[in-house]
Amino acid sequence: MLRKTFYGIRFLVYYLVQLVKSNIQVALMSLSPRLDFRYGFIQVPLSLKSDFGLLLFSNFVSMTPGSLVTEIDDARTFATVHVIFTSSEKEVYDGVQKMQDMIKRFTA
Amino acid sequence: MESTFINIPLLIIFGMLLLAFILAFVRMLKGPETSDRIVSMDLISSVTMAFVLSYSILVNKAIYFDIVIVISLISFIGTVAVSTYLKQKK
Amino acid sequence: MMATMVFFFLGAFFILVSAIGLIRFPDLYTRMHATTKATSFGLLLLILGTAIYFNTGMVWLKAVLVIIFIYLTAPLASHSIAQSDEGSKEGKVDS
Repeated sequence: MLRKTFYGIRFLVYYLVQLVKSNIQVALMSLSPRLDFRYGFIQVPLSLKSDFGLLLFSNFVSMTPGSLVTEIDDARTFATVHVIFTSSEKEVYDGVQKMQDMIKRFTA
Repeated sequence: MESTFINIPLLIIFGMLLLAFILAFVRMLKGPETSDRIVSMDLISSVTMAFVLSYSILVNKAIYFDIVIVISLISFIGTVAVSTYLKQKK
Repeated sequence: MMATMVFFFLGAFFILVSAIGLIRFPDLYTRMHATTKATSFGLLLLILGTAIYFNTGMVWLKAVLVIIFIYLTAPLASHSIAQSDEGSKEGKVDS
């Protein structure tokens, strides 16, 4: 129980840091004189199954820099994520997997 | 009483919010699809909440905070209702 | 008073940024990036500034509740708008 509380608090701190970072990124992006970013959809396999975990996951992905959940299919196996690429696709993919591990530690 | 209505920083904030409102309104007029118009309506309701918060500072009354609660509830329900209607119609 | 004005300037700046992004970005999904993130962060800053200005227990309670509500519902609203998009998603999926 104590361990879960610790991971929950660490998740909250990480969430706030990512929130500030993503807003600075959006501000820089929309005020820059040239708009030359790449964007597209990627599909991510889900390992979370519970309702609360999926709520936290989609909320967190939508608030981190440059990604937005647009669809989760009915069987809960894939999430379609819209990404504005600031790094390579592999890094975005690994970042999403790391978020799922982080959420799984204190919900399951 | 009159001095509360002359507040230079709040006037600048009102100007910024008014500019944001005008930009969102332009997007709502020329948005190519209906979904763009829903997004800009969402932004307009947020700008309205910001206006009400600034006004509560200007007239120094905390009771205006309740309006923000009501607007946030209604804007969420409205956005979900209109987009669900569009999805059903498709 | 000073802290309130700083919070208000930052909040109004982020709302203005999201409106500029709504005008300039090229398609629906990138526009939703701007409105989802920057608008809810701007409202968070404005509500915190108001709560610091009045500084009573009731206002702080309402402020925390409204912030939690906004942060729970902003991604839901954008997800729901993305579901209602009229089929511009095909042809752009690169997994």
